[in-house]
Amino acid sequence: MNRKAYLAVVLALSATVTVAGAADEKAAADTAAKAEAVLAGKTATASSGKTEVAKANFEKNDAKLPLWSWQQVKSPVAPNVQQKNWVRTPIDAFVLAQIEAKGIKASPDADRASLIRRATLDVWGVIPTPEQVNEFVNDRSPDAYNKLVDRLLASPQYGERQARRWLDLARYADSTGFQNDTTRPNMWRYRDYVINAFNKDTPYDQFIKEQIAGDEINPKDQNSLVATGFLLNYPDNYNSRDLVQRHYQIQTDMTDTIGLAFLGTTVGCARCHNHKNDKITQKDYFSLQAFLANTSVDEKIVPLVKGEQEIQWEKAQAKYQAATKDIRDKQKAILDTVREAGVKYHKERYLTDSREAIFKAKEQWTPLDRWVNHRLENISTERDVSGYLKRAAEDKNFEGHKPELVEKWAEYEKLTAELKKYDNLKPTAGSRYISAATELGNPVAPPTHVRFTGVHERPLDEVQPAFPAALTDEKPVIVPTATSSGRRTALANWIASPKNPLTARVYVNRVWNQYFGGGIVSTISDFGKAGAKPTNPELLDYLADSFVKEGWDVKKLHKQILLSSVYRQSSAHRDDAYKADPDNKLLAVFPRRRLDAEQIRDSLLVASGKIEDKVGGPSVFPPLPANVNVGVNNFDNNPAWTVSKDWHDHNRRSIYVFTRRSVSYPMLEVFDPANPQLVHSKRDVTTTPLQALTLFNSDIVFGWSQALAGRVINEAGNDDSARLDKLYQILFARSPESSEKSALREFLSKQEKEIKNKTVDGKFEISTPTGLKNAQGQDPVHLAAFVDLVHTVANSSEFSYRF
Amino acid sequence: MNDKSRREFLLKSGMGLGGAALSGFIPGFGYLTAASAAELIDPLAPKAPHFPAKVKTVIWLHQNGAPSTLDLYDYKPELVKLAGKPIPESFLKGIKTSTQGGITKLFNSPKRQFKQYGESGAWFSDLLPNLAQHADKMAFIKSSVTVGATHDISILKLNTGDVNPGRPSLGAWINYALGSANKDLPSYVVLYSGDREPSAGSVNWSAGFLPAVYQGVAFRPGASPILHLDRPGGLAASEQKNALALLKNLNLKRAAYYPEDTELQARIRAYELAERMQATAPEAVDLSKESEATREAYGLNDEATKAYGEVLLRARRLTERGVRFIQVVNGGADNEITSWDAHNSLEENHSKMAKLVDKPIAALLADLKERGLLETTLVVWASEFGRTPWGESGDGRDHNPWGYTQWVAGAGIKAGTTFGQTDEIGVQSQGQTVDTYDLHATVLQLLGLNHLKTTFLHDGRSERPTVVYGEVIKDLLA
Repeated sequence: MNRKAYLAVVLALSATVTVAGAADEKAAADTAAKAEAVLAGKTATASSGKTEVAKANFEKNDAKLPLWSWQQVKSPVAPNVQQKNWVRTPIDAFVLAQIEAKGIKASPDADRASLIRRATLDVWGVIPTPEQVNEFVNDRSPDAYNKLVDRLLASPQYGERQARRWLDLARYADSTGFQNDTTRPNMWRYRDYVINAFNKDTPYDQFIKEQIAGDEINPKDQNSLVATGFLLNYPDNYNSRDLVQRHYQIQTDMTDTIGLAFLGTTVGCARCHNHKNDKITQKDYFSLQAFLANTSVDEKIVPLVKGEQEIQWEKAQAKYQAATKDIRDKQKAILDTVREAGVKYHKERYLTDSREAIFKAKEQWTPLDRWVNHRLENISTERDVSGYLKRAAEDKNFEGHKPELVEKWAEYEKLTAELKKYDNLKPTAGSRYISAATELGNPVAPPTHVRFTGVHERPLDEVQPAFPAALTDEKPVIVPTATSSGRRTALANWIASPKNPLTARVYVNRVWNQYFGGGIVSTISDFGKAGAKPTNPELLDYLADSFVKEGWDVKKLHKQILLSSVYRQSSAHRDDAYKADPDNKLLAVFPRRRLDAEQIRDSLLVASGKIEDKVGGPSVFPPLPANVNVGVNNFDNNPAWTVSKDWHDHNRRSIYVFTRRSVSYPMLEVFDPANPQLVHSKRDVTTTPLQALTLFNSDIVFGWSQALAGRVINEAGNDDSARLDKLYQILFARSPESSEKSALREFLSKQEKEIKNKTVDGKFEISTPTGLKNAQGQDPVHLAAFVDLVHTVANSSEFSYRF
Repeated sequence: MNDKSRREFLLKSGMGLGGAALSGFIPGFGYLTAASAAELIDPLAPKAPHFPAKVKTVIWLHQNGAPSTLDLYDYKPELVKLAGKPIPESFLKGIKTSTQGGITKLFNSPKRQFKQYGESGAWFSDLLPNLAQHADKMAFIKSSVTVGATHDISILKLNTGDVNPGRPSLGAWINYALGSANKDLPSYVVLYSGDREPSAGSVNWSAGFLPAVYQGVAFRPGASPILHLDRPGGLAASEQKNALALLKNLNLKRAAYYPEDTELQARIRAYELAERMQATAPEAVDLSKESEATREAYGLNDEATKAYGEVLLRARRLTERGVRFIQVVNGGADNEITSWDAHNSLEENHSKMAKLVDKPIAALLADLKERGLLETTLVVWASEFGRTPWGESGDGRDHNPWGYTQWVAGAGIKAGTTFGQTDEIGVQSQGQTVDTYDLHATVLQLLGLNHLKTTFLHDGRSERPTVVYGEVIKDLLA
């Protein structure tokens, strides 16, 4: 289609006209901005500009009224409905009113087995055991379901599951990303903080305050310090030669993350220009960033209380240190001879404005210089000096070259090789320190400026910390402490205030999305004008209002949803409901959903009986497929992935699998996990052949199927029919239908023949169930066919979905 | 996708539901018939470009480590003359460098020789004798610019347009906008030579904020290129066949309860595709049927070129099979020289690295041409930045994001031309520069995509591959 015709078509569609038009217009403006940037000879951060597209303003908003989500949360009264018997909680009335308005009915409760499988997957992230299913199914007491919900919410697995969703928002990882992808040895403590916060039912307002300002509010409390890990999960590039720009990029990351995660607001849009959709000016944006301006990271805080982990780590470390003391001392002595020159050389490798700060006398440091120098100290290692030595020895043209260094470098390298032999003594997981946000003991923050088109080298007017003017009249109350600016506390207090119209709405909507596979506001992290409008605004406000009134009690929120009739509905297809509401927006039928990456892996582990239920601790490294060779982590020269020695660690829940930003764990990677580079608001569901290959062909999954086969045989005995029942009970919380059973039996006999044929070829390689208590008298061919059957059933759609 | 996620997908694709539902027109996808609308259930279903495409496949040859194009293509007699002298201040105007007092004397490798080749008279150095024979197939971009002083951020920018991780790579955008032309293979493949995966890993072929289905699939060395391609636990093919038949049977029984559930149906198809992929993927990378002449041409008989040659031969086979975007990252020449990153001993580094790529790339161009594939294939020779004309440690060169050479060849390209130039000694680009965004916009254009209209709604922003920049370099186009 030529452009003219194309435009003609587009113009015919008012809904899309702004999309195309705005993009063109924007392009022209951007080209101009870019030209200007190039003229200024600056290095633009590419993220500095993003295309905001003014969406068609389909509702005629009263210009005087703020956007719906910026208005105070109301306290709606549950509407009247006809199907009164169906209503168990106010939630039900809000949902049912819309269903009835469409002229249809809500669905009846799901059967008990489906319900417990669904609820266990939702609350714990794994399938229930047959015992748990039977107990619930056979519990005839009227409050059987309430008891189930209480039991689910009381388990530490609740915290593990909820934490995973929060970590998606916190862009959690155990490494920094970029090419070096340096390990962040302490971040697991933040992950554990989140798990514990959910399990202890920390009120959400407190949860917010601890994560944004724990170090300011409660500097003596280890838990509060660790909580600030939320701010510190930004991807980082230790290699960066532009530390001033790093300061800006890190503040940007923190600001944008807070905006999306807590406020469901794309404040980041306003960094380069006034927000195109929402009333957030560039000044508002930088006024928000000013709250973070003085924030640094301390990665070497000695824990106040040493736990078992620290004791073990230090023990291992002490052993390593003792065994290698001699070698390391000799290495240090060598480096000491070039240290001064080496350090100087390293420092000179930074860009102009960074160098200014680095070479300035400490007494003259500005707050920004303080930040830059602290950063430099954090990322400096012996490798800076040894790298210099190598260069000075090997490179005759290098200015620092001296012939006598050749021998020194040779000796140093010999020692390095010697040292390498002791690597197996090093503690492989965990850490001795905690990481936390800090303002370096100084309450004075660097100034924050509005930046022309968001470019850090083009400062305009200075701004003070302030909340977006169109959103609130409130002014921050900033009380500096002796060691901190107090800015983050002020920000946290505003976000965690019952008066903030966004915070509660955004959070209850996230929880709703978890249970129903879609939010009341479908754009989970965008409650702005360009985002979706709530499909049920009264329900949203009811949830937000009661959440705050109940003291931001997260477990109560979950409980309220779990106890609702909406949640208990059957997912069975109904023609009438489908016709009236094909997208099931009204929830007249419970929406089935594919399990997410962690639910699939963890449930397979549960089925196989291999799951380790240990809660918390350093991240673990389960095995990678044989043909993945990820090499070393460049920064510290350690392998990027050292498979955990303790095999128990291989079977931990997925939340404990080490998140290396450059190496997605392959089994999880294909099932749309969170992308740790971003605030990840919503898990996608894509259906791909790579998923099928992973579930069917992975030796690890196959090993779990072998274990599951062994478990089934141990528990069900020698009768095939009983085995099939048992298998279905474990995987699906139901018994096979007779047509399924006959298909399964038919498969067994066919597969036995195939396996026997293999023996004729002399290629007698068969699978056996593992963990069998009594293998005596069992036909190995029959067992092998049964393993294949188990593996196939575990691959079926029913396992990977919750209905 | 189920109906709900399909609806979300349509919305995020900037396809106003109202518009699409009413008229069947979706920007970026053209008109939809009822049947093709149903195809959107499959996120990789082929989609129509904005205008007719010149290119079906892109082979993106990332020269990892940043070669000195001053030693390959960008001949500077003035640099030869001034070698050993300090750089005149005027050349440094407007740039920020990272070495204090480190802008040392200008450097020229004494061995370097340049000659003109082909009718176009393009300059090539002695390092690329084979590639030089294809001078008339290429269009040079001699005014490339980018951002960054370190490899990682500039590599990220080369692939995703941003210096921070999180944005989709160019291949992912293409995968999203056009879908797959061959369901039996991934449509976005990453190849690398050497036994180690490229550092920074999948961030460079990530789907970013697009659904993960659009990310690149790394093809590993060896007969089984995709993870989990081989049957597990000694399962024979016949046993697997039985098992998959049972699986389909069970899945169909279950799906029957949910007659409108397209996602469950898609899952059944995914297993069928996976089964086919088990055969098609190894076949696609199986070089055993290639003629001895081809193997020789790609350098498979020489240890110095074997690794890269194999990867490029794989690239050609994937091109034949309709893979849309093939991202090739070179490994090193040996254990010491692991990339083009020659801060010192440039001569040794570049003679080995050039040897690694020269013959294989020349063979690829010749092979594509001979098979008629060059008419629908775009080859891009790109790097994260170039290198400085001043020496580092005497005989190396530092990073140069201000002016360097890249080239494109193949479908839709004005072959035998040169666009842009650097100053007399090769520090900075002069005149119209070509940034990553412009290169991306141009590649998209050749694929039939308007980079301004290839959009995805993410966190309230209508994002596009070229961020807020990008201009198609029309002078490069035939």
